[in-house]
Amino acid sequence: MGECLSAYVHIPFCKHICSYCDFCKMFYDETMVNAYLEALDKEIQERYDGEVLKTVYVGGGTPSILKGYQLDKLFNILKKLKRNGEYEFTFECNVSDIDEELLNILKNNGVNRLSIGVETINEKFYKFLNRYNDKEEVMTRITLAKKYFDNINIDLMYAFPGEAIADLDTDLSFFKDLDVPHISIYSLIIEKNTKLYIDNVQPIDEELDAAMYYHIIKYLKALGYDHYEISNFAKKGYESRHNLTYWNNEEYYGFGLSSGGYVSKKRYTNTRSLNNYLKGKYILEEEVMDVQTDMENEMILGLRKMKGINKDTFFRKFNSHVEDNFDIMELVKKNLLIDDNGYIYIKEDKLYLSNQILVNFIGGSNE
Amino acid sequence: MEMSHIRNFSIIAHIDHGKSTLADRILELTHAVSAREAKAQLLDSMDLERERGITIKLNTAALHYTYNGEEYNLNLIDTPGHVDFSYEVSRSLAACEGALLVVDAAQGIEAQTLANLYLAMENDLTIIPVINKIDLPNADIPKVKKELHDLLGFNDDEIVLTSAKTGEGVEQLIRKIVEVIPSPKGDRHDKLQALIFDSVFDSYRGVIISARIVNGTLRVGDTIKLMETNALFEVVELMVNTPKEVKKQELSAGEVGFIAASIKNISDIKVGDTITNALDPASERLPGYKPMKSMVFCGLFPIESNRFEDLRDALNKLKLNDASLVFEPETSNALGFGFRCGFLGLLHMDIIKERITREFNIEIITTAPSVVYEAVLTNGTIELVDAPNKMPEQTKIKEVREPYIKTSIFTPSEYIGPIMELCQDKRGNYISMEYIDSTRVNIHYELPLSEIVYDFFDKLKSYTKGYASFDYELIGYRASNLVKMDILLNGDVIDALSTIVHKDFSYNRGKSVVEHLKDAIPRQLFEIPIQAAIGSKIIARSTVKALRKDVLAKCYGGDITRKRKLLEKQKEGKKKMKQIGSVELPQEAFMSILAMDDE
Repeated sequence: MGECLSAYVHIPFCKHICSYCDFCKMFYDETMVNAYLEALDKEIQERYDGEVLKTVYVGGGTPSILKGYQLDKLFNILKKLKRNGEYEFTFECNVSDIDEELLNILKNNGVNRLSIGVETINEKFYKFLNRYNDKEEVMTRITLAKKYFDNINIDLMYAFPGEAIADLDTDLSFFKDLDVPHISIYSLIIEKNTKLYIDNVQPIDEELDAAMYYHIIKYLKALGYDHYEISNFAKKGYESRHNLTYWNNEEYYGFGLSSGGYVSKKRYTNTRSLNNYLKGKYILEEEVMDVQTDMENEMILGLRKMKGINKDTFFRKFNSHVEDNFDIMELVKKNLLIDDNGYIYIKEDKLYLSNQILVNFIGGSNE
Repeated sequence: MEMSHIRNFSIIAHIDHGKSTLADRILELTHAVSAREAKAQLLDSMDLERERGITIKLNTAALHYTYNGEEYNLNLIDTPGHVDFSYEVSRSLAACEGALLVVDAAQGIEAQTLANLYLAMENDLTIIPVINKIDLPNADIPKVKKELHDLLGFNDDEIVLTSAKTGEGVEQLIRKIVEVIPSPKGDRHDKLQALIFDSVFDSYRGVIISARIVNGTLRVGDTIKLMETNALFEVVELMVNTPKEVKKQELSAGEVGFIAASIKNISDIKVGDTITNALDPASERLPGYKPMKSMVFCGLFPIESNRFEDLRDALNKLKLNDASLVFEPETSNALGFGFRCGFLGLLHMDIIKERITREFNIEIITTAPSVVYEAVLTNGTIELVDAPNKMPEQTKIKEVREPYIKTSIFTPSEYIGPIMELCQDKRGNYISMEYIDSTRVNIHYELPLSEIVYDFFDKLKSYTKGYASFDYELIGYRASNLVKMDILLNGDVIDALSTIVHKDFSYNRGKSVVEHLKDAIPRQLFEIPIQAAIGSKIIARSTVKALRKDVLAKCYGGDITRKRKLLEKQKEGKKKMKQIGSVELPQEAFMSILAMDDE
């Protein structure tokens, strides 16, 4: 504990900008990418302390749009990150970038998990997202990817304006046919600084949104997926170990533009300005996590997991009982938390309201 | 200073007619401040307040002016302009012998100007009419002169033309002040009588009193007695503002200044009380003031119930320079311990709310404003009802009376239609309309006061694009068919949400209120039925649906700080809500019971 065992690496370049995306990204430009990789190399050399890592995650943006020689360069840089024998190494891919060449490069460089943004194969919705997802093509490319990798995640998005449960079922049945071991689901959120926000797109009715969420859970569970976190489902043994680092409130490096990290009890966020980044001004803000904040985060993040908080783990970490720091009893009494068999967790039917529960862990115990 | 060389005056003006700028020019010309020092709007300046270490709400400045080779002391006493504060205006006017009536050369006379002018006339003040902003391209001096003549009877030669902005006419105005405004009467050798017209609390020096010496002389070291409270104090400091603070050894009849006397106990000081010398007391108090009656009442409740005593302390401190604020403890089943507070009007209420939150850092919930009703009981007694939940049982009531006002609405004539419509909607009776000139009218209506306490000002402003000005006077109580309407949340009556409504309108009001409440109450973990009831009869219902979604969907490493901030914000929002039973109510819910539908 305390030692950094994970690293996230951000590649902020895309060919198309999706209408809902508020992540840090910019249009692909070859020269810019090369300059960026130089800076990324410097950042890692400057800040990486040589720990042996158990997970590495390359996300974006769209890391898969890098050209072959750029990918070689990227993996050369990432070689500097030491990995243990059972490491998990995830690489985010756009469906249309998947071909034998890419898959070979990834495989040869130690990548052992793919995360692929499918979102939806319903034409009116993927056009709305400013994406292109021809059903046949998605099937072909993912089938190809499965020949190289068994550990694959695909993203599913729902709650599009005008979407009905029947539309969602089309996507779900396609996801079933794709038959990959990990699925992440997100309802469409209209974030500021996105095209959808500018176009004044309104979210769907929250009743329907919630109904869709629980519909998905039911569907995927029936297929044998374990619902192990608010938005994540996995076949046994395929949980994302990298993401569990976040939810277990453990430390991780964040490298690259706009990345967040948690190192030596400091949470930091990197700059979103490419200019500053190229000049070596990586960090935008950082904040030391005092014990109180750290404990609050332990709860807020831990309660994302269906299993919840292990009380012994909490005690070992903070040398103090969770009940002595938060009024768990009160929340249990209100039927918002379950305290059972050494774990504290949010029951599935309250999961979609979890902010109402988590807010009680902010700024000390509930009054 | 000889009394014959003292002039005490104030400035009466409608908001935005240039009072502060004119005051600044006067300060400059009397060399109170050099032009270099003269920052905009000196009397309102925060720097000055910091320099003095006290926050002076009612400002006074003692100025020197040489006229015909002789030195004069001019005391400028600032007044608030808004209709709510006519009481404070009367306080400062009582310390003066004269007033400048400032009228905007482009806007002409406004309703509030008139109201304050009448107060000045009641106090027998000598009025100097001033047409200001004559530099404006759309200034219409002949028209405004005609208004001053037709409405108020001033002649051309009495009127001074100024531009506070360029300074034109200001010197002439100061000369006029010396020439026209009478010097104070009184005897500096008589027994001490000084009128308290304001006070503030300073953490270093205790209560600072603003006083006008009417008779006698007050010296540093004197033991003073406050004639109403009989409290005794030793004078530590005497000061005047020039507008820098200048220490004095004595103040005598006709003069205006500040007194510090190590006064710790706020309640010892009552604005309007008379100060005398404890060793040689005057036999009688000065007339003082009739405290103005509170027109609007509402409940103030701390959101965190443990801050009740802090709230009491805050109200006490505010009352120190605002005697018109009245309050008494109130208990609500829904909101716990708080205070029922009386205000002069809605602006006054808003200011007090704002000051409690800002200056004392107490988050409060205010219940919807209400007027004072008279309930005539079957046994003949009359009960004053200043809160809906104090209304006696229906069966014991013979009739309920409500306060009525008469309006003066000054408006360009093209807005007559919308204004009349607004007044009719508010249960108004048309009385009359006078043409001030070919384009402006003064509309008189009789309206129930309860109809103007919520959104009348806002509506009037929006209906007339801000061109109408409004003033009113209370004309007494009238019987109306009024009933108490209760609101039930989750089946429980929430006493703090009750209102008094006219029976004929109660069904529509009930419907409108439950709909507004539905929108004002955020969705919560369970469904909340809302009902409006008169007695045991439910007249309207609605439902706040249960919250179905409140989740940070995806949450990755880079998001954690941001997501946490979202939760922190949500927590802040919760802190501003009041937990009633299992329901959380935001401030808007309490106000929404007065909201009307806008067609």
